[in-house]
Amino acid sequence: MASTLISAKLPPDVDPTKAPIAFGRRALPKLSREIQSPELLTQQRALMALCDLVHDPENVYQAVQIGFLENLKTLLLHHDSTVRQKTTEILYIMAMHNVGRQGLIQNAVIPVLTELLDDPEDICRKNTHQVLDMMAKLPEGAVDILHAGLIPLLVVRLKTESDEIQELILGTLSNCLRMEASEALATDAITILKEKLTHPSATIRNKAAQVILEIGTHPEGKSTVCEEVIPLLVSLLEDTDPEVQASAAGALMFATIKPKVCCTGGEHFLYTSRHSDTWSYSESPVLPSTTSWKPFLWLEAVSHS
Amino acid sequence: MLPALRPPPSAASAVPYTYCSPPRAVPARPKYRAPLEADEPQKEPARWANLMYDRRVVRGNTYARQAVPTCIHHPNAFEIQRQREARRKALARKRAEEQIQLRTPEPVEGREHVHVQTELYLEEISDRIIEVDVECQTDAFLDRPPTPFFVPAKTGRDVATQIEEGELFDFDIEVKPILEVLVGKTIEQALLEVMEEEELAKLLAHQRAYAELRNAELAEVQRLEEQDRRYREEKERCKQQQMEMLQKEKETMEKIAAQAFAKRYLTDLIPSVFNNLHESGFFYDPIERDIETEFLPWLMTEVEETLEKKTLGRVMLDSLIRTVTEKRLDVFSQKPLPDQVEAPAEEHRPTDNAPQVAAETEAADQAVTADEETDQPAAEDQASHHITFQSEEANQEAMEDSETD
Repeated sequence: MASTLISAKLPPDVDPTKAPIAFGRRALPKLSREIQSPELLTQQRALMALCDLVHDPENVYQAVQIGFLENLKTLLLHHDSTVRQKTTEILYIMAMHNVGRQGLIQNAVIPVLTELLDDPEDICRKNTHQVLDMMAKLPEGAVDILHAGLIPLLVVRLKTESDEIQELILGTLSNCLRMEASEALATDAITILKEKLTHPSATIRNKAAQVILEIGTHPEGKSTVCEEVIPLLVSLLEDTDPEVQASAAGALMFATIKPKVCCTGGEHFLYTSRHSDTWSYSESPVLPSTTSWKPFLWLEAVSHS
Repeated sequence: MLPALRPPPSAASAVPYTYCSPPRAVPARPKYRAPLEADEPQKEPARWANLMYDRRVVRGNTYARQAVPTCIHHPNAFEIQRQREARRKALARKRAEEQIQLRTPEPVEGREHVHVQTELYLEEISDRIIEVDVECQTDAFLDRPPTPFFVPAKTGRDVATQIEEGELFDFDIEVKPILEVLVGKTIEQALLEVMEEEELAKLLAHQRAYAELRNAELAEVQRLEEQDRRYREEKERCKQQQMEMLQKEKETMEKIAAQAFAKRYLTDLIPSVFNNLHESGFFYDPIERDIETEFLPWLMTEVEETLEKKTLGRVMLDSLIRTVTEKRLDVFSQKPLPDQVEAPAEEHRPTDNAPQVAAETEAADQAVTADEETDQPAAEDQASHHITFQSEEANQEAMEDSETD
């Protein structure tokens, strides 16, 4: 039978890899102190505990308030790989919430993340790219990434990284290039993207087509896209994956709205569109209504050019 | 029950040591013992703690004595077992002794031989107390024998209780909140994680939808811009064309107006031109012109010559007359006859004036010698000029008359 005495022993430590969390409001300040301790084990345990806490948005807010991000910035360049990995994971989880994203922008974390793009650990790089991907979804974040000069580095890494990281890079690029495409064009991104359009993975093809779409929204991009990529995009219209078709249609839509210069491939893809099953985009899982806009729109655009 | 903090003794007897007769200070003893008779039936309560007089202390060789006297207290199993073993050994010994010894005769009917041990309560009574010097040396290697199992005397009533099943608590009811907490926390954590994933997925879907809408709208905007640009250019071009057309119309109108005006202006031109020309003498009658250009000048020059001749003649005559009169004057001045000379001079002068004209015209024929005279040639020139001017005027008048004709 249970006794009414509260045990004098501490509760059993279920997970010794995590630092014990203080109660309520004191949890984060205590962890903040532990993170700055000189001992490696303490730092690692504190980071693991923080990683769990940060899933709650209120904790994210509190963390940003008490200036956690400064500490995390210094930890990003730690010599130990576990510390770096956990720090990047924490930053990723914080970036999933808007408060965290704003905090990351205000504390200028992105230039420091540039250093981590070459990290020897795969997981660190993957987390870094995830952070950049989430940040790019915010307009101010995308501007930040552009100012930090990350576009040429990302384009270069498209060739070397693994598939999942490539997906993240392509996502980041598509959101950033919406703002400004000149840097990417300068580093000859179109050639690399053309290769990706024929990649075996459907997600990569989809995202590459989206990047080309975003490049095509800018006038200087339109001409480049028009010259080089249209045949590939047209062949993608007959792809098996409907999302790839939608993205290719979108890219073509933007490429055809061009001042003065008529695309020579215009007639070509009008024919292919009639042959291919363009009107069956209603099967697209995400948005049946809008993906079917795209063929309408670019056909309209083509008819004007 | 004692608190569980004290570790239980490792020895066989689990009862801790308690004093039955706690040590006391030696009380005041009477010098002489109380008479023995009074003592025998009673046992004095133990007022001393002298080992020598303690019943419980075994006298004699403790090593040989193995049989522990049967206690009236409850021994534990170990003690029971030891007692049993001791009994067995004693029996064995006795049997061995019996075999050696003469046996006692068999009991009479109705009686039974019983082995009785009476040593328990035997006490040797004597004045002299047997004192035996005993030395004791603790053996280093011998373990302390276990303390005898001491069970305190039973006091009070025995009461037993048994907890039946279901009396303490109902496991199912009690375990429910604990289980709820455990399961609830687990599920809550799982739900949180799943919800987070779902939320993320929904956010991504939302973002994609938004991105698609934005792209579609952006494309629409660009298309409209293009359209607008084309329309504007079209409009500009139309306007340009219209302007040019207007310009041309204006020019044409101006041209027409100019042409009409010019035409009107110029209708008069030819007659006026002709008029002017006619007036300025371009259309001339050749005969008239001929007459005018050739004949009349010739006529005039001839007339002039004639008149000049006449003038010359007159001049000559005048000069002659003058020289003559001067000579005469000179001649006559030498002689004092002024009246006749002046009178004829005066007469000559007015008479000179009258025929001067005729004389000059006659003198004009012989013009050479008139130059020597100073007064009269000047006057004569002037006169001749006057005359020529007059003659020219007469000529011009004649010409104009001829022209107006």
